[in-house]
Amino acid sequence: MVWCFGFSFESLFPNSSLAIVSYPILKHAYGEVCHQLPSKTFLIGSQKLLVCARCTGIYLGALLISFFSLFFIKKLNFGIKLLYISLAPMLIDVIFSTLNIYKYSKLIAFGTGIFFGSIVFVYILAAIENNFIDKKPEKNG
Amino acid sequence: MDSKHYLPPLVCGFGAAVLTTIPGVKSLGCCLIVPLAAILSLFLDHKINKTELPFRFKNAMFLGLLTGIFATFFSTFFDVLMTYILHTNEFVQTLPQTEELVRQYKLGVLLNQTMGMLKQMSKDIQQNGFSLFYIAGIFFSNFIINSIFGTLGGLLGLSFINKKVKK
Repeated sequence: MVWCFGFSFESLFPNSSLAIVSYPILKHAYGEVCHQLPSKTFLIGSQKLLVCARCTGIYLGALLISFFSLFFIKKLNFGIKLLYISLAPMLIDVIFSTLNIYKYSKLIAFGTGIFFGSIVFVYILAAIENNFIDKKPEKNG
Repeated sequence: MDSKHYLPPLVCGFGAAVLTTIPGVKSLGCCLIVPLAAILSLFLDHKINKTELPFRFKNAMFLGLLTGIFATFFSTFFDVLMTYILHTNEFVQTLPQTEELVRQYKLGVLLNQTMGMLKQMSKDIQQNGFSLFYIAGIFFSNFIINSIFGTLGGLLGLSFINKKVKK
């Protein structure tokens, strides 16, 4: 949530002095993990987000599924196929738009990103939860 | 931990740093370069050191974190080296635009102090090809972000590899 707030901070509070002063720092920090090309970035109001449409999708997907998992997902035991399925649309979109088979679309990038981000978060959460489940018998034994 | 276990994160961290330096590759790989390097690091550790499967949680996290840390050192080194050779970088080139944007808001003393510091950094880079504040800043931000992404990559790799074992 903090991460998502960081890349949209300047867009959400464009007149805040903190947002303006922190802009160069945040821009560099997010630039480390994203190309930040203006043509591939969403505009909120008149301000660009600090990450591209695909990264926005990935982070928002992870954020949404993290809220969702608090209430609805009880058991995290998915096969590996789901990870491949979530990766495939994003990979296809990257390859096709790079090879100019079709024109880059922010919405497609965002959509494939949100799908991938939400599934990846489930796998990371599963790794953490399984660690605690595995530890329980050790403590009892 | 045996010193041989440090080799996969070192190699993968180096690879990730090289890839993040190349602009074209960065636009393709985006935020997935360091996590993918961390996953690869787990694979390499298993192949080279014959690590027992399933992977343990703390080992996977440690390898992921280490990949992120090595990526930080190498990417900062590459950035410093390129800046020293060229006497310019993205920060110097985009500073006038940043200033123009920020000046619109008339923030007074706070803004002047911030801009003064940034301009001094830019001046040092253009004159000497080196700015201690700049290096400290990029190292700190790279360290935090790559450590987080490396650790997440380690956890994803743990989930991925262990599920493959179960299969």
